[in-house]
Amino acid sequence: MSLSPTALLECRDLERWLGAEESRVHVLRGVSLALEPGSVHAIVGPSGCGKSSLLYILGLLDRPEAGQLVIGGQSALALEDRDASHRRNERLGFVFQFHFLLEDFTAEENVMIPMRQLGRLSQREMEERARHLLDGVGLRAKAGRPSRHLSGGEQQRVAIARALANDPLVLLADEPTGNLDSVNSERVFKLLTELVRAQDKALLLVTHNPAIAERCDWVHEMKDGRIVKTTRNTIEL
Amino acid sequence: MKPVLYIALRFTAARKRALILSLSGVVLGVGFFISTQAQTAGFEQFFTDTVLGTSGAIVVTDRFQERYAPVVKADADSMVAVSGQQPRKYYTGIDNPNMVMRAMRDYSGVLAVAPLLEGSVTIRTDFKDEILKLEGIDLDSQLRATSLGHQLIDGSIDGFRQKPFGLLLGSLIADKLQVHIGDIVYLAGTGGPLGTPGAGAAPSATPTGGAPAIPTSAPGSDLHPFTVEGIFQTGINAIDETRGYVHRQSAQMVMQKPYLASMLIVRLRDPERAPALAMQFEKHLHHRARSWQERERGNLEMLHAIRLSAAITVSLIILLAGFGIFNILTMTVLNKVREIAILRSMGYRRADIQAIFVYQGLIIATIGSVVGCALGAALTFAISQVPVRIRGPVHADTFLVTWSWHHYAAAALIAFASVLIASYFPARRAASLPPVDTLRGSGQ
Repeated sequence: MSLSPTALLECRDLERWLGAEESRVHVLRGVSLALEPGSVHAIVGPSGCGKSSLLYILGLLDRPEAGQLVIGGQSALALEDRDASHRRNERLGFVFQFHFLLEDFTAEENVMIPMRQLGRLSQREMEERARHLLDGVGLRAKAGRPSRHLSGGEQQRVAIARALANDPLVLLADEPTGNLDSVNSERVFKLLTELVRAQDKALLLVTHNPAIAERCDWVHEMKDGRIVKTTRNTIEL
Repeated sequence: MKPVLYIALRFTAARKRALILSLSGVVLGVGFFISTQAQTAGFEQFFTDTVLGTSGAIVVTDRFQERYAPVVKADADSMVAVSGQQPRKYYTGIDNPNMVMRAMRDYSGVLAVAPLLEGSVTIRTDFKDEILKLEGIDLDSQLRATSLGHQLIDGSIDGFRQKPFGLLLGSLIADKLQVHIGDIVYLAGTGGPLGTPGAGAAPSATPTGGAPAIPTSAPGSDLHPFTVEGIFQTGINAIDETRGYVHRQSAQMVMQKPYLASMLIVRLRDPERAPALAMQFEKHLHHRARSWQERERGNLEMLHAIRLSAAITVSLIILLAGFGIFNILTMTVLNKVREIAILRSMGYRRADIQAIFVYQGLIIATIGSVVGCALGAALTFAISQVPVRIRGPVHADTFLVTWSWHHYAAAALIAFASVLIASYFPARRAASLPPVDTLRGSGQ
């Protein structure tokens, strides 16, 4: 079931409440969105407006009370944990603000973790692909270094390489530059957008940074659980 | 390698201090369990071997006859006759021992049968008198059915074979009476009064190394002179301080029994089958048959209880180790909340997260069991070399140990069960952690 035949990920009328009884909050109110190949989307808005909640639902880490979600042409909301996890592993890549690398593992091993779970490549193939991806983010020389010995910018680049490990359709990024200085922020954003456009993937990133948002193809402004405004930017590549 | 096992190995190896703490508990528990079981089972096995080697797996004694009291009940139209079973009537001794032995040898698993004439006699030396449990044996049958040949610590079986009035004495009673090989002692049936050895009898105590002539009975008395041809030691004091062996015909003469066999000793290929076979003997041969398990029930239960008690005590160490692992894994789960969330975001299922933590427990159990088994074997060997003088119910000069793979399997099983339970609950908790809560908490 695809709402848009070309969208890599599309959601319609998502509804989500959080909390219970008196503290119950309606965090998503009929949110709809479509991510086309090669497109970069930013979600902006004040804290608590539902940006991250939307991201986690799109990433199959959370479930809405109502709505539809299609990833790669297949409905994805009624899946059991096993199938949802497999879909996430195969088709989605996450990048978080705080990098979230496994600190006991090297950069290369971190990149290989999603590949191990997918189980399609041999050990040698996984190592080659991990090195190739780290090369792509400029970290091939540090592939064998424990992730805790990398700088913040380097860790975020490793996280990007890891998000690309299984060649996903869609990258979901929760403030990927929020914890970086301006130089690294620029570098990471550039890397993400270039990869997405070159490989016809889609990127949805949550950001508080207007400068970053301005450079995305689409900017969705959220307020009180709704997308109140969507702007298409004209980007000069 | 499965991805969850790979991650579990890395998580485990990364926390070296926790790993050493967890491992040390399991290693010590497994090692102590094995070594204590080896000791307690060693004494139990020694006792069992001695019982089997001395009295056989089954002892067949008196013939019996089932008795029934006919009851006739009549009513107006009919008369019904029923049989009411009454206690068996026993006849002392084996009835037609050769025939009974032949029948027994036909049973599969029966390796040897030996006839014995058993009774109590008084043994007299210059030094003192003692009551002796005398067993008249057929030497060759006895050697086949028991470990008598291996139990001889002084003298020779051949010497005994050649002397119709030769005597084999238990080591403790020989000690008590201060007799040695070649000495002459006097035996008398306990029913009659003890006379004085006649002037024609051999000296009452001939120095060891002498070659005394076959003594003859003292005229006008019930005393029969016997030459000590061997001293045996079973290791069970109750036997070594009371028992003596003579040839069966000599025993019959001393004890003045009207029959030549009061019991039969049966050696089996598989002693564990003794109770079942004893029941068959009773049913088909109409002689009382008692398995070694029945005869030694009290001692066996006591030894078993000691062994069980030791097992329970030492298992507590493993359980404590399991509790330690529970705490360590619970702390690990709390410390790995972010890692759990990120693994979930990368497509690892709840079941995978649970498996990662259960595997960590299993890794500890595996390494702990292997090292613990090695420690247990080393401790068992060291303990078996410790010289001790045990002169209680059994007689030993070192700690008795048994080498059995069952002890190692049981220790590993307890370790795995304990660690599996200890790791299951933290693992389940890890799997149930909602990743969104962690990601949301860190991301906004």
